[in-house]
Amino acid sequence: MSYPIKRLLVFPLVMLGVSIFVFVAIRLVPGDAITAMLGTESGLLTPKQREALTAYFGLDQNWFVQFWRWFAGVLQGDLGISTTYGKPVMTVILEHFPLTLELAVLSMLIALAIGIPAGIYAATHKDRPSDLIVRVVAMVGQSTPSFVVGLLLVYLLSVGFGVLPEMGTFVPITEDPIANLAQMILPAITLGTAFAAAVIRMSRSAMLDILQEDYVRTARSKGIPRRRVIWRHALPNALIPVVTLSGVEFGYLLGGAVLVEQIFALPGLGRTVLDAILQRDYALVQGAVLFIAFNFMVVNLLVDLAYAALDPRIRFETK
Amino acid sequence: MTALFKDVLRHPSGRIGLTLLIVFLLAGFLGKAGITPYDPLMQDRIARLQGPSSAHWFGTDLFGRDVLSRLMVGIGQSFVISFFSVGIASLLGSVLGLTAAWFSGLWDGAVMRFMDVLLAFPAILLALLIITIFGPGTWTSVLAIAIVYTPIFTRVTRGPALSLRRRDFVDAARTFGTSRSYIMTRHLALNLVAPLTVQITLALAWALVTEAGLSFLGLGTQPPNASLGLMLSDARNLMELAPWLLWVPAIALMLAVLSFNLLGDALRDILDPKTRRRLA
Amino acid sequence: MSKMISKSLTTIGLAVALGTTALSGAAMAENLKVAWSQDATGLDPHKQTAFSSIRFLELMYEPLVRLDKDAKIVPALASSWEFNDEATVLTMKLDDGAKFHDGSAVTSADVKASFERILDEEVGSAARANFTAITSIDTPDEKTVVFNLDGPNVPFLTALASVNAAVVQASAIDAGTIGTEVVGSGPFKYESWTPNSNATLVANGDWHGGEVAIDGLDISVLPDETAILAALRSKQVDFALINDPFVATLIPQASGLKLAKAPVLSYHVLQLNPSRGPLTEQKVRQAISCAVDRQDVLDTALLGEGAVSGPLTMAAYATPVDELFCYTQDLDKAKALMAEAGYADGFDMSIMAATGEPPTAASEAQVLQSQLSEIGINLTIEMKELNVYVDHWLKANFDMAVALNGGKPDPYTMYNRYWTKDGNLQHVANYIDDDLDNLMAQGREETDPAKRKEIFQSFEKHLAEVSPWVWLYTGYSYAGSQDYVDGFEPTPTGSLFGLADVSLNK
Repeated sequence: MSYPIKRLLVFPLVMLGVSIFVFVAIRLVPGDAITAMLGTESGLLTPKQREALTAYFGLDQNWFVQFWRWFAGVLQGDLGISTTYGKPVMTVILEHFPLTLELAVLSMLIALAIGIPAGIYAATHKDRPSDLIVRVVAMVGQSTPSFVVGLLLVYLLSVGFGVLPEMGTFVPITEDPIANLAQMILPAITLGTAFAAAVIRMSRSAMLDILQEDYVRTARSKGIPRRRVIWRHALPNALIPVVTLSGVEFGYLLGGAVLVEQIFALPGLGRTVLDAILQRDYALVQGAVLFIAFNFMVVNLLVDLAYAALDPRIRFETK
Repeated sequence: MTALFKDVLRHPSGRIGLTLLIVFLLAGFLGKAGITPYDPLMQDRIARLQGPSSAHWFGTDLFGRDVLSRLMVGIGQSFVISFFSVGIASLLGSVLGLTAAWFSGLWDGAVMRFMDVLLAFPAILLALLIITIFGPGTWTSVLAIAIVYTPIFTRVTRGPALSLRRRDFVDAARTFGTSRSYIMTRHLALNLVAPLTVQITLALAWALVTEAGLSFLGLGTQPPNASLGLMLSDARNLMELAPWLLWVPAIALMLAVLSFNLLGDALRDILDPKTRRRLA
Repeated sequence: MSKMISKSLTTIGLAVALGTTALSGAAMAENLKVAWSQDATGLDPHKQTAFSSIRFLELMYEPLVRLDKDAKIVPALASSWEFNDEATVLTMKLDDGAKFHDGSAVTSADVKASFERILDEEVGSAARANFTAITSIDTPDEKTVVFNLDGPNVPFLTALASVNAAVVQASAIDAGTIGTEVVGSGPFKYESWTPNSNATLVANGDWHGGEVAIDGLDISVLPDETAILAALRSKQVDFALINDPFVATLIPQASGLKLAKAPVLSYHVLQLNPSRGPLTEQKVRQAISCAVDRQDVLDTALLGEGAVSGPLTMAAYATPVDELFCYTQDLDKAKALMAEAGYADGFDMSIMAATGEPPTAASEAQVLQSQLSEIGINLTIEMKELNVYVDHWLKANFDMAVALNGGKPDPYTMYNRYWTKDGNLQHVANYIDDDLDNLMAQGREETDPAKRKEIFQSFEKHLAEVSPWVWLYTGYSYAGSQDYVDGFEPTPTGSLFGLADVSLNK
C-alpha cells in the first residue's frame, strides 16, 4: 500500500480522535453556556428556569447522547448551531476562515519573497560580511515571538508615528481590496517575520548543500556561467525543502493565529475559537477545532505528496 | 561530553548561544534563589512607574516593584517551566516513540494515531483548554506545554528506533566485522541522541514562547510572581505611560529564545554526521 | 462508515475552497463609528444580563422607565406613572407616540406579554427574580398598564428601569423570534451583528423619544483597549467605550480627543466568605476591613480614578465614608482585633480574581495581598478565567474574591439578593442577621423618601461594621471621543443610551 493511501486511511481515525478529544475537553472546563451568558446573575435562576435553559442549550442529555447527536450530524456535514452566533457552525466558520486563509497566504508570500532571495544571496556569499548580516537578521527574526513583534509594531507605529491601519471594522478583500490589504499588511508582516527568517535559513543551507553536489560542480567545470548554474541547476533542488517548510508552516497558520488576531482585532478563526471557548459555545469550539485539524492534515498530506513529486530521490517506504 | 562542549565553544553560534544562555541561567538562578537587587514582590507606593535610573536599572512597575529584580525572577520562572515541560515531553515522547517502534503493531498504531490527534490540534488552543480545565499555575503550564510537545519527540525517536529494530544496518556493519554492542551504541548515538539533543534545544525555545503566549492571555504564571509573558501582558495597557515595562521583557524573551536557537544550530552542525564529515 | 466521514469532510474542504465572505455592510457617511472591547453575548433583552449586552440592547429596546444621568427615574415607554398610597399597585400610562421598529404601536398588551414572558420559568430570564412581586397585570385600555403587587414595594419602579425588563412585541413572543430578530422601540434599529466583530444600527426616524441626529452607528469590537486608543487617535473611530483607567487617562492628552467620565454605581469590593475558617469570626473580618487602605488600592490599581465608597454607591443614599466603620486604615486596631479573635499570628488563605474582569482585578488582588500581609494574613492569588470564576463564585467556593459588582439606583434592588434572608444570592454572601433583614424589609415598604434614606443609612452603617465584605470604591465609566462628537452624557450605569442625543459637528 502506498504511503499517501495509508495516510488517507488513518485520516478518519484521527478525525474521530480529535472529535472525542475536543468534545470531552471543552466539557471538562468549569462553567457552561448559561454562566457564560448570565454571569453571576445566573444565580438568580430558579431550578425550573435552569432546567429550561439547560434543555435550550442541549446540555440536558448525558455526554454519550450529546456526542452521538453531534457526531451523527458531523457525518452528514452538519456541525450544529453556534449558541453565541445563533447560526450554523459551518456558516460561522466560513465567515471567519477567508480572513485566516488570506492572512496565511499573505504571510507566506512575504516570507517567500524575502526569504528565498535573501537565503540564496547569503549562500552564494558564504562567510562574507553580507552573509553574516543576513544570518544574524534571520536568527533574530526567528527568535522573536510573533505576538511580541505585533506588540512592538503597534507600539512603534501608534506611539512613535501616530499612524495605524484601520482596525475594527474589517473590510473583506472582495469588497475593497485596497482597504483590506491596508488592514492586513501589519498582521501579515508580524506573522511573516519568523516565517521569512525560517525560509532564509532553510534556503541558505539547502543551497549550500546543493552547491556541494557533484552535478553542480560538474556543471561549473564544464564552463557554464556561475549565475546560470545557481539559478537553473541548483535553485530548483534547493527549493524542495523550502516548499516542505512553507507547507508545514502554512498548515499551522490555517489554524488561526490567536494572539496576533487578538492584537490586531482581526475576526479570524483563531480568535473565533478563543471566544467560543470563553463563551462555552460547545458546538462552535468542536466544529472549528475539527475544521482546523482537517485543514492541517490535508495540508500536511499535500506537503508530503509534493515532496515526493519534487524530489526523485525520495520514495515513500512501502511496508 | 567535554569534546562536545569544546566543539560548541569552537562553533561561532555555539559560543554566543552558550554565553547568552549562561547569562540567563545565572540571572534566573539568582532570581529563584532570592538574590536580587530588591525584593521582587516589595511594593513601594512612592516609587510607582519610575523610568530606568541608577537606583532601578530597568525602572519600576505599577506597584513600585523593581523591574530588574522581577525580570530575574521572571527569567527563572520561564526557564523552570521551559525545562520541566521539555523534560517531561522528551521523556514521555521518547518512551512512547521507543515502545511504539519496539512493540509495533497495535500499540504503535494507537500511540502514533494519538500523537496525530494531538498534532492536528492547534497548539495554543490545546494548551489553553488544558489550563482552563485545571486552573492556571506553574505546574499546569508545565503539563500543558509538555503535552503539546510530546508528539514531536515521539516522532523523533520512533524513526531511528524502528530502523534499529529492523537491524538492516546491523547486518551491514557485521559484515565489516564490528561488534554488535558497538554498533547498537554507535547507531543510537548517531541517529537518536543527536536529533533528540537538537530537538530538545529547539523545544526549549518554543516552550519559552508558548509559556509567554499563555501568560500573555492571563493563563500562565500567576501574580504576584513574574514570568516574561506575564510581564509583557502587564505592560500592554501601560506601554505608553511606561514603555520600559514592555521593552525589558520583550528583549529578554527574544534573547532567551535566541540563545537556545543558536545553541541548537551549533549542535546540529556538530552532531550531524553529514556536516561532521565535511568539517573533518 | 469511514467512507462516509471522508465524504462529508471532502464537502467541507470544497466549501472552504469556495468560501465566500459577507462580513459587514458598507459604511454610511453620517454614521457614528463606535468601538468597544467587549461585545454583546446575545440579542434577547430578557435573557442577556452581561453589561456588554445590556448597553448594546438598550440602544434598540426600551423599558418602561429609564435612569437619567443623575440616576433619577425618567419616562421611557411610560410617559407617566402612579403608585397607590400603600405602594401595592402601580399604574403606568404608555407614550402615545411609542412605536415598534416595524411601525406598529406599543400597546399595553405588549407590556403584559413581555412581563409574562419574563415570569415564565420556561424562558429562563434571570431578571424574573426582580418581578416575582407581580401578582397580576391589568390592561384597562391600549395605553394603560396596571401592575398589582403582592405587598408594598417602592423599589419595584427602579427594577423596571432596565433593558432586562424591556417591552417586546407580543407577536414576536408568539412567533418565537426574540433573540434572533430585533424589533424594539428604541432610538436605533437593528441592521446587522457579527458577534465579537461588528454591528450596524440605523437611527429610528420615528422614535417617540425625539430626533436622533446621526444616521446610525457602526460598532466595531476591538478586544485590545490600546488598539481602541490608537484607533481614536488616527480618527478611525469617533466614539469609544473604555474600561481600563490606564487607557482612559491618556485620552485627554491627545489632541482632538475628549473624555467623558461619570462616577458609576458598580463597586469594587473584596468579598469575604464568612463561612470559611477564620472569616466566620466577625473580628477577623473587621480586622481585614481596618487593615485595608482603600485609597492606596484605588491609587495603585486605578491610578486614583474613582472614589472610596461604602456599600451604597448612589448619591441619594450614600453615607459619608468617614462615618463608616474603619474607613481609614488602622493597623493597630486591625492587629488588636486579630489577637482578640485568636489569630495574632495570622493565617493563610486564597483570594480569587477573574482574568481581565475588571481589567484592574489582578492589580487589586496584588495590592490587597501586600496590605493584608501586614496583619499576618498570607494570601495566595488565584486568577481564574471569567466563567470559571463565576462557577466558583456561585457555589461560594472561595475564601476571598475580588469583584466588581453591579449597582442599582435603589439600595433595596441593589442588595436584596445578598442581604435578605431569602435573597437569591444569600448563599454566596453567606452572612445575614436580623438587623439587615429587617432594615431591608422596612426599606421595601416605606414610601416617605426621608424615612427611606434614614433606614438605608442605618443599613449601610451596620453592613460596613459587620464586614461580610470589604467595600472599596467606585470607578468611572469612560467614553472617549473626537472633539466633534457633541451631546453625549455619561450615566452612573455606564449606559450608552446617550448616543441618541449625539451629533457630529465636523
